[in-house]
Amino acid sequence: MFQQIAALLIISFFYFRAVRQRSDQKISHNEFVFWSIFWLITALLVIFIKRIDFLVKSLGFSASGIEALIYLSILIIFHLIFRLRMRLEKMEKEMTKITRANALNKDK
Amino acid sequence: MGKTFIIIPAWNEQKTIGQVIDEVRKYYENIIVVDDGSKDRTAEIAKQHGAFIISHDLNRGQGAALETGNQYARKNNADMVVHFDADGQFLASEIKDFEKEIEDGNVDVVFGSRFLGKESKIPFSKRYFLLPIARIVNRIFFGIKLTDPQCGFRALNKKALDKIIIENDGMAHCNEIIIKTFQNNLEYKEIPITVLYKEFGQNLAGGVKLLKDILLNKFLK
Repeated sequence: MFQQIAALLIISFFYFRAVRQRSDQKISHNEFVFWSIFWLITALLVIFIKRIDFLVKSLGFSASGIEALIYLSILIIFHLIFRLRMRLEKMEKEMTKITRANALNKDK
Repeated sequence: MGKTFIIIPAWNEQKTIGQVIDEVRKYYENIIVVDDGSKDRTAEIAKQHGAFIISHDLNRGQGAALETGNQYARKNNADMVVHFDADGQFLASEIKDFEKEIEDGNVDVVFGSRFLGKESKIPFSKRYFLLPIARIVNRIFFGIKLTDPQCGFRALNKKALDKIIIENDGMAHCNEIIIKTFQNNLEYKEIPITVLYKEFGQNLAGGVKLLKDILLNKFLK
């Protein structure tokens, strides 16, 4: 119970940070919606952790619900890093194209 | 032979670029130095020594610089291009060996090799560690059986120049050129070259980065 309250307080802290960033117009509306949904889902997972324990067990895994969530989070993070890497690669290629076009257009 | 362009990618090579150009000029007129965003006087010195300069505003890597030089050569109807390093490790007098192979009409691409007889002072770690690993990776993942897949001294005729577009900006362009030579069924040959290492060259970190680039290029496509 204590851990759940602590987790919810941390989630509230990050959510209100997002609210403040939105009101300061540091993040866009879409970004704010994304983080709101993200923290809402996280809060729901924390609140219903016992049900997740049950669900994980019924699926035949030996890990507890919270462990399963951590494994899932790591998988999602890896996926996001991969996508980020792809996007960076694409940006690097675009930078090279622009640099090359500039270089070839210069009359030396 | 028709128009031959010597393409020299250079990044912060003010110490050697002048001498390299002077050496190449003894044999060839069309020297293209692609200054890859140098912070020193590379471009200025290269210009003083009579090379044609193409300047990248940002440092984009050796592969990117070579492709810029290749694009310029294509636009100017080159019959052959030679890729040559700016650090003075290759001998300009050996360019004619590459030209002769292409002139004879038997091959489209000529690769230099540091392991075919001529004496090259290759640093210990490079000879016995980095290059053998590169050879193994090339054999396992790409089926390439060249003796020196990482050598930057090479020549391409017009046909090869038109077919090989370098997409890898970094050092993995060496592999890319070889792979595209195979994929396009171009005729190729390896010939011995002399290499004079003045400094260590690519270090271990560079070798690891190269390996990463090669594998990423293989799996991210």
